[in-house]
Amino acid sequence: MPKNIRNFSIIAHIDHGKSTLADRLLEYTGALSEREMQAQVLDSMDLERERGITIKAHSVRLNYTADDGQNYILNLIDTPGHVDFSYEVSRSLASCEGALLVVDASQGVEAQTLANAHLAVENNLEIIPVINKIDLPAADLEKTKEQIEDAIGIDCSDAISASAKEGIGTKDILESIVKRIPPPKGDDNKPLKALIFDSWFDNYQGVIVLVRVFDGKVRAGQKIKLMANENVLEVSQVGIFSPKIVPVDELSSGEVGYIIAGIKSVTDTKIGDTITYADNPALEPCHGYKDIKPMVFCGLYPTQSHQYENLRDALNKLRLNDSSFNYEPETSLALGFGFRCGFLGLLHMEIIQERLEREFDLSLLSTSPTVVYRITTAKGEVLHIENPAMLPEKYEKIEEPFVVTTILVPKDFIGPILDLCQEKRGTQRSFNFIGKERIKVEYELPLNEILWDFYDRLKSLSRGYASMDYDFLGYRESDLVRLNILLNGELVDALSLIVHKDKAYYKGRQLAEKLKEIIPRQLFEVAIQAAIGNKIIARESVKAVRKDVIAKCYGGDITRKRKLLEKQKEGKKRMKQIGRVELPQEAFLAVLKVK
Amino acid sequence: MTEFLYIHFPFCIKKCIYCDFLSVPYDKSLASKYIDALCLELRMRKHSVSKLKAIYIGGGTPSLLPVERFKHLFECVRNNFCWSPSIEITVEANPGTISESNVNELVSLGVNRMSIGVQSFNDAELKTLGRVHSSEDAERAIHTVKNAGVRNLSLDLIYGIPGQTIETWKASASEAVAFSPCHISSYELTPEKNTPLYKSIETHQIKMPDEELVLEMYAHAIQYFTNNGFEHYEISNFALPEFRCIHNLNYWERGEYIGAGAGAHSFINDVRSRNTQDIHQYIEMLNMGLIPEVESTKIDKADAIKEFLFLGLRKTEGISLAQAEDFGLNIPDACTELIEEDYLRIKNKNLRLTKKGLPVSNSVIVSLFEKLEIR
Repeated sequence: MPKNIRNFSIIAHIDHGKSTLADRLLEYTGALSEREMQAQVLDSMDLERERGITIKAHSVRLNYTADDGQNYILNLIDTPGHVDFSYEVSRSLASCEGALLVVDASQGVEAQTLANAHLAVENNLEIIPVINKIDLPAADLEKTKEQIEDAIGIDCSDAISASAKEGIGTKDILESIVKRIPPPKGDDNKPLKALIFDSWFDNYQGVIVLVRVFDGKVRAGQKIKLMANENVLEVSQVGIFSPKIVPVDELSSGEVGYIIAGIKSVTDTKIGDTITYADNPALEPCHGYKDIKPMVFCGLYPTQSHQYENLRDALNKLRLNDSSFNYEPETSLALGFGFRCGFLGLLHMEIIQERLEREFDLSLLSTSPTVVYRITTAKGEVLHIENPAMLPEKYEKIEEPFVVTTILVPKDFIGPILDLCQEKRGTQRSFNFIGKERIKVEYELPLNEILWDFYDRLKSLSRGYASMDYDFLGYRESDLVRLNILLNGELVDALSLIVHKDKAYYKGRQLAEKLKEIIPRQLFEVAIQAAIGNKIIARESVKAVRKDVIAKCYGGDITRKRKLLEKQKEGKKRMKQIGRVELPQEAFLAVLKVK
Repeated sequence: MTEFLYIHFPFCIKKCIYCDFLSVPYDKSLASKYIDALCLELRMRKHSVSKLKAIYIGGGTPSLLPVERFKHLFECVRNNFCWSPSIEITVEANPGTISESNVNELVSLGVNRMSIGVQSFNDAELKTLGRVHSSEDAERAIHTVKNAGVRNLSLDLIYGIPGQTIETWKASASEAVAFSPCHISSYELTPEKNTPLYKSIETHQIKMPDEELVLEMYAHAIQYFTNNGFEHYEISNFALPEFRCIHNLNYWERGEYIGAGAGAHSFINDVRSRNTQDIHQYIEMLNMGLIPEVESTKIDKADAIKEFLFLGLRKTEGISLAQAEDFGLNIPDACTELIEEDYLRIKNKNLRLTKKGLPVSNSVIVSLFEKLEIR
């Protein structure tokens, strides 16, 4: 007999109202009283709430008595809302039988929604379209439905009209979840098969793993193993989130909950891995597991070298909670001791940097982000280069990662967007209208090109209307060179970058000009040179400071003058001393500002 | 115990656009109450003062004060303090407010040095600065002061005025020298926050002259005044031999001083303090028998070192290496690079800023703080 359980996710673009809808569902089902409701409960990290995006997945169990008089357990599995976390999204979706596809009636379908909706289709999920924000004057119900049908190919005739903010449609949504999403299939008597879709480190309990049980049962005291790494562990507790943590006796097939098993680090609990019994394992793991690798790298250095140990401790702590990010010590001639860190994408990188500075009170210097280049040497050796400074002088072949980028944009803005893709070395793959107003284009682009200013320019060229998503395609050979920057004749390794040969001259000139703007005048002239190999392609100079003096110093207010000088000294502290030159942090990101 | 007294008179006819000192529009009755309060303060502070070597009455515009009130103030000073026969007593004066009778009166009270805020001998520039006087007023005022027998005359000049050219600056400088003063203070116009000048620059109504032009003006001042027998003894100050301003030198040498009056600063026993800037509060506190201080900071060793360096290096003779050593500073080691770059020089066991170092003294001093690892 099928269980009265429904497992579902919410797919939505940033700001289309996912968190608000989740709050309404919690409120309606009485999971939390109004007093306990802190707006947007599921986004618990400060950063998530501030940026309005969900970084980590969470789950919550809702108890709902449907119109048919029966009690149902509804497991809402939250998904991260950003392209950088698409693998995590796919594993969350794989834990569900259905999904609510929430689209803002005033904004229409966005690229990210599209990508996640396709993931849901691939995972055979029942998709319930929810047209949200119908209370807004700009809401266009019919147009939004037409876009969903065109873009994703699902029937919208019974889409639910809702306003999460106003609480409209909440009951319809709950009833549809019960009626339309199939109950979980699975066999309590088979060996345990539980999919890990999230995990995090708790100071008291160790690692908490969120799972969807497909077959079997799991309870405290059982010996389990993680199929990807064969680690055997003993379960100390299982439970659910209501959203408060509630221990239960067991989790059985179809259920969603947490397992605590004395795991020390999240690096051992890979998302997408399968938990099974140690001595009576499942025949095969849940499919779809991937060992995901960071795509974007940058060097992180403390601005003051004595903070190196603190930085290492902080990275270590963050990694406890985020296995998708990694770091290795590296040394830069210019910056001293630091770490080369790998991230899933740019947003992921920004989040980690912000957390390091905010939660650990570190002052960091970041080199410009880079992708991983694949080098084949004359001897046929293959090297992966994550740091432009490490690019060897000679090699047979250099390849760079390519992605396929999907862009959705109102048709009025398409011209400049196509130009942008062209400028970024893109090749068009497809071009389709979605409804009458919007266009979906797909471009194959080097990942390197979209790292820099692509997203910002896409947004500004479309007045904020365009949305994008990308997917890794593979490595392709490219004509790339290393662009070096010399300050007063000395190469600053941390400023090197790898660029396409056709753009090297232009970039070199632009970068030298940018640096000239950024580097403050000092007590001696600073010569800036851009070079490819030994060839100097651009020169600029920052003239020595000529006038910096307190003309009038009496009237007795000595303290104010002293503070003036102290402030000036503090300003210098935030700069990195390279040889005799003082470089502000922005200098290392100057390359991001070069078109 | 100090030998130096500063008295602040915070009233002006009109505030100049660049001024960030404490001053309010002159009001006869308020000014009179203020002097009474000042006298109370002087009495309360008499125990901090030994024998006075210098009194400096600054402002504001002290020359606005009616003679009768000046007399009262001096009586009060005499009643509470004793002074040495060689005392320097300076009064700041605005050329628009000087008359023969009041200067004679000041001299009879013991004033022996006057600092006249000429600023420029060019009327258009005076207008730009928002001064209430003309160049003719200045000339008249200088004659009046000289005729009254004040030998020690100091003229204030400003360069780097919007619209000023090197020629008009040279003309002002030479006119100043032609009056044969004993002392010239020559300041670069500095836009301080919270002044109308600063605002006008921010809103692009006024454009400051180019850096290179200002540097040329500074260089001219140094060359011209020294060629005419003045010693360039501090970043912005020039004096004939024996006529350096004793009072101001005391600031740069970290000497103690008492500052009386609203907004005035004192430095006694390693504590720097400030009086309230609110004139009414100032009067009220004194009438209640309170010292009108609202802020005081104990100067610790690191602060003292910083003061020693940045104040001492304002003097062209610099700081003595021996004194630096007493502070535990190894100057020669820390300065190698700055000396190589010709920003600093060691001469006669003194460290001093060079001609190249003077206009960038802030950068040099901050760099020195770093090299000496002063926290």
